Amino acid sequence: MRNVAVDAPLTAASQGLASCHLCLKLAAANQQRCPRCGAALHLRKSNSLERTLALLLTACVLYIPANVLPIMVTDQFGQPTPSTIIGGVVLLIDMGSVAIAAVIFFASVMIPVSKLAMMFYLCWSVRKGPAETVRQRTVLYRITEFIGKWSMIDVFVVAILVALINLSNLLVIRPGAAAMAFAGVVIVSMLAAESFDPRLMWDQREKSDE
Amino acid sequence: MNLEGFLACPSCDVLFDISTLEDGESAHCSRCGHFLSTYRADATQRVIAYTSSALMLLALACSYPFMSFKASGLESVMTLPQTALNLWHYGMPGLAFLVAAFIIFIPALVLVLMLALNVALLFERDCDWLRPVGRLIYWLQNWSMVEVFFIGVLVSLVKIGHMATVIMGLSFWAYALFSLFFVLSLAGLDRAQYWQRIEALQS
Ligand SMILES: [Zn+2]
Ligand SMILES: [Zn+2]
Repeated sequence: MRNVAVDAPLTAASQGLASCHLCLKLAAANQQRCPRCGAALHLRKSNSLERTLALLLTACVLYIPANVLPIMVTDQFGQPTPSTIIGGVVLLIDMGSVAIAAVIFFASVMIPVSKLAMMFYLCWSVRKGPAETVRQRTVLYRITEFIGKWSMIDVFVVAILVALINLSNLLVIRPGAAAMAFAGVVIVSMLAAESFDPRLMWDQREKSDE
Repeated sequence: MNLEGFLACPSCDVLFDISTLEDGESAHCSRCGHFLSTYRADATQRVIAYTSSALMLLALACSYPFMSFKASGLESVMTLPQTALNLWHYGMPGLAFLVAAFIIFIPALVLVLMLALNVALLFERDCDWLRPVGRLIYWLQNWSMVEVFFIGVLVSLVKIGHMATVIMGLSFWAYALFSLFFVLSLAGLDRAQYWQRIEALQS
């Protein structure tokens, strides 16, 4: 591993260059399209903060039905038992599977909630954040970006159980509406992470240095 | 200034020269620590090997039973496409579509496109479709959830393991290996290096 730094940090923007978000090509910032791959070229992601905040709010709204509605319904001997995400975790603890309850709790509750909280904090910090924490905030952003799709575990678990447990009158598992809402939360918050531009935080720090 | 071999850190915009990387070396941003690029002289051959293995394993994983579940003398067998099809059957076509896309269609499409791109690069063929295919690969790769699904399978196993006997089918093992090769294929497809090669081929 090697750092290939130039001595003083020289940014692309300070040289009038935009970096293509798709192929990383450097091109004059006044061009419309990337000369290498043809993607739209922007100095910074367009309307990054507004788009990120709008998507975050959408995710928050979707998070309500995702938790209130049942994520799956278990039909045992024709008797339907709906269960919510939290209900499923509680049931697992009651049955003694604490480790698996922890995994589900982590993936379905901790990750989406902390991801939304972290993204809100990052948006706020672009204008108001302390300049000395910008590197930590960049790492925080990379973490939110990385963990995003792991919240889909619970949706996949529902899809698998629905496909696997299908013993006609004895035991059948059906999907609940919360599964769709929860998939929505994951997708919308992944889009939010994608629209956030961490370079805005560094731009802010450079401005405050001057 | 000559921009050949330079890129800007996607996290903090600092300029770096990655043209001096040697075989097996990676570069990280010195200001924010973000990964920039890794150079491997044999990337094309590796990615062709990984993607073609992954495609064969995915075909296997879709054609055999994934898991079966036995309780009170009854048995139900699940195949990989059924994880999506049964959701459709229960009146959730949107979710069925998403699940199928995340675990089968997007990964399969990304693999086919990666294979085509790497074969073109191997034979140094300049084709018109290289740029759109490259764009599609890097746009789609964030939306494949192969490894997430595999962890979902393991969680489901623990969740129902005590209720009944669960037997893994051939397809389960094929999907496990497929996940591994899929992750390796994507890791081999370094963004900066591949686009530099596509550009070199077209000029
Ligand atoms: Zn580009
Ligand atoms: Zn950086």
